[in-house]
Amino acid sequence: MVASSRVAPPAFVPGLLFVAGVTVVVEILARVGLLSSYFAPPTAIVAALAQGLANGDITSQVGMTLMTFAEGLVLASVLAVVLGVLMGAIPVVYDALKMIVEFLRPIPSVAMIPLAILFLGLGAPMRVAVIAYASFWPLLISTLYGVRAVDPVALDTARNFGVPPVEALYRVTLPAALVSIATGLRVSASIALVVTVTTELVAGNSGLGFYVSQMEQASRLPSMYAGILLTGVLGYVINLIFFTLERKIVFWSPSARGTVQ
Amino acid sequence: MRNASLPAKRLYWGTPLQRNLLGVAVVVLVLGAWELLARAKASIYLPPVSAIATTFVHEWFSPQFGEHALPSLMRMLAGYAIASVLGVALGVLIGAYRPLFRLLDPFLQFLRAIPPSAIIPVGILLIGIGDAMKIVVICFGAFWPILVNAADGARNVPGERLDTARIFGVSPTDQLLSVTFPSALPGIFAGLRTGLSIAFIMIVVSEMIGSTNGLGYYILQAQRTFAIPEMYGGIVLLAILGYTLNAGFLALEHRVLAWHHGQSARAV
Repeated sequence: MVASSRVAPPAFVPGLLFVAGVTVVVEILARVGLLSSYFAPPTAIVAALAQGLANGDITSQVGMTLMTFAEGLVLASVLAVVLGVLMGAIPVVYDALKMIVEFLRPIPSVAMIPLAILFLGLGAPMRVAVIAYASFWPLLISTLYGVRAVDPVALDTARNFGVPPVEALYRVTLPAALVSIATGLRVSASIALVVTVTTELVAGNSGLGFYVSQMEQASRLPSMYAGILLTGVLGYVINLIFFTLERKIVFWSPSARGTVQ
Repeated sequence: MRNASLPAKRLYWGTPLQRNLLGVAVVVLVLGAWELLARAKASIYLPPVSAIATTFVHEWFSPQFGEHALPSLMRMLAGYAIASVLGVALGVLIGAYRPLFRLLDPFLQFLRAIPPSAIIPVGILLIGIGDAMKIVVICFGAFWPILVNAADGARNVPGERLDTARIFGVSPTDQLLSVTFPSALPGIFAGLRTGLSIAFIMIVVSEMIGSTNGLGYYILQAQRTFAIPEMYGGIVLLAILGYTLNAGFLALEHRVLAWHHGQSARAV
């Protein structure tokens, strides 16, 4: 190949070139008028995005979205980890709750929106409740499996050295289950963002999803696409953050397990 | 894995029957407490379980099922089927050819990060609020996890399998169909399962935003008209459908991937 004598370009270069190429093609097609008028040229979208960010229109909505997202996710995380550890570590608790979990888990989270509206109205608490409900399940299940998969030898060793059961829970079980908890947290975080935008879209009075649907109704298409673009950016960044977090935790896990042998 | 053959004693108590009975007892207890609370008029938003059950039977063992539940299921299956075929075909291709993967990966990662419900407004503008919009939105939501998992599966095919095929002179097309594709099946099924639950969520959302029938429309409308037992009944129906779809999918996966499970068991 031609490039064999040169330094190979970084792996992401062709990918970025492709993204740039698609953007240019869409821009040209939209400007020439070959695309439906419901598409907006990328430059117009970027301009709308810059304007919205500068005058605070979009910025405040992003803040609202991130706030409800974080509240819902934190609420779900605390509940899911506590309950997951209890169910994983204590067989009676597991057997008592498994039927209820099996019944509630398949309900699509968005079906809870009308129920949440009844009890909590249309504001942010309703959204936080639905987000927490949706992101609770993956984390509960992965915490549960993580705790159940803890090496019995490690627990026996702790018991032999006279570590009390409660202390063993947070000194042996929890650290070992952390890998699985981190994976669950990443899945929960991406679900939480999807549900945040969805509830804002269906029954919102603020947030990025609300902004997108408002712009659609006002036929301000570049602003609508700017909002959608931003949801994608948020999704990407949030996934990246939790993925990095997970990798950091997985990094120490094999060595921790190694000391057990 | 070391302890896979030793049943960890601490995980069990009592007989399996006792353990299942405890689970059932807790469900009965919760439903009983709900019934009592509701009869004591704790909240107008909390109808008795018995009323919900009566409404459920009355509403759904009737032509109503054809009016609201069937359209939802048909749209979902249509969108999901299209997403599955496209996602698996494109995913295996992208995963099998590394340059293609490098070219498309950032683009796909970004599109995949968009919460699928955010494109509903675009769908409404471009296609209107009919069945086609819902099918497109469901398809968009289910497509990404299927594509990404299929690509990952195809990318991580053990090299010796492909080398063996090449040594025996298997043509590239046959390699793709009879080596890469079967090897990627576990990954493909992981994606198909995620895609199914997303499709199920998207059908409810798209019917809540722009529709005159379907289950999403039904439960939101029931809430708006304060038909409270009907709303709960609709949610119960969604739970049953969700459970059935998932169970059906797991059964299918178990059958199709039987060879894989057997193989990994032997490997351990």
